[in-house]
Amino acid sequence: MKHKSLFIVVAAVIAVALTGLFVISMVVAVQPGNRPVVGSPAPDFKVSLYPSYQAGYPKDIRLSDLRGKVVIVNFWASWCVECRKESDALESVWRQYRDRGLVVLGIDYLDTEAPAYAYLQQYNTSYLIGADLQEKISRAYHITGVPETFFIDRTGKIRKTVIQAMTQAELVSTVETLVNEQ
Amino acid sequence: MKVGVRLPRLLAAVLIVCLAALMAGFAGGGSVQAQAPDPDSLVHDIAKKLNCPTCAGISLADCQTDTCMQWKQEIRTQVVEGKSQQQVIDYFVARFGPTVLQEPPKQGVVLVLWLLPVILLIAVVASVIIVLRRSTRRKADVVSPAAASKESDDYISTLEEQVGKS
Repeated sequence: MKHKSLFIVVAAVIAVALTGLFVISMVVAVQPGNRPVVGSPAPDFKVSLYPSYQAGYPKDIRLSDLRGKVVIVNFWASWCVECRKESDALESVWRQYRDRGLVVLGIDYLDTEAPAYAYLQQYNTSYLIGADLQEKISRAYHITGVPETFFIDRTGKIRKTVIQAMTQAELVSTVETLVNEQ
Repeated sequence: MKVGVRLPRLLAAVLIVCLAALMAGFAGGGSVQAQAPDPDSLVHDIAKKLNCPTCAGISLADCQTDTCMQWKQEIRTQVVEGKSQQQVIDYFVARFGPTVLQEPPKQGVVLVLWLLPVILLIAVVASVIIVLRRSTRRKADVVSPAAASKESDDYISTLEEQVGKS
């Protein structure tokens, strides 16, 4: 009888501890929210732009500050080979449409500064670039890797997402539609 | 008599040798510390404490992806600039977050996870002690029939003596 009650108490303590461990692991493992889908509002975020890559905007901006403009949020990194395939096209589209209300915002993902600057100089980049500090932006957008691009319309809604390098024709086709919307 | 004289001398000699060895050890250690750390080994040490950002569970030191090579180059640059190991690690944590660390800081949920086994052990030991104490008390509360009958006999004889006196 004595051993039985001892066994029950020890088993209960272990069960409570294991349940606690399970709950904690679930809290740690599960990230809140889901990947934003087309038609949903783009998650707002704050980004510090790299010096020389502010395109006339303040150093610290929020996505919501760009409301009323068409925004291309492009996740990239200097170590990303695929990103290099679309860099020229992004720069070209930015130059072509910036006066019609387009903002291209490059989010530098898991990158270090020196190679990032070398990359930007190599591609003569002039659009807005900022680092994804502490992966806050990439987590909010649940990106799967780089390059990954979100097209956001003038009302702040996501209109298209692309998980690969884009050609200039693809970029122009989407941007042309969005800038014509008022 | 000779043995009695030799023994303290022998002990003194052993003590001197030990002290000399200790001093040599300290001097040796000091000279190692005085040397500038090898950048390669420092880069490796720092990389061992950081995670590969793109592959799960692998340290930066053990990973050869482009991202990791770039990060290691960044570590090397900062080491050559004269930054300490902690300063370099702080830079990576500030830029990429605490998940970059191989061993996350013992705060919040992580601290609970570290303490849980200790708490569990204490709880189990406490439970065992409580249960054993209770069973011991129960044992003490139960009086054996022989002892009870002896107590009763003593009481009756004392009572008879008192009645007889009166």
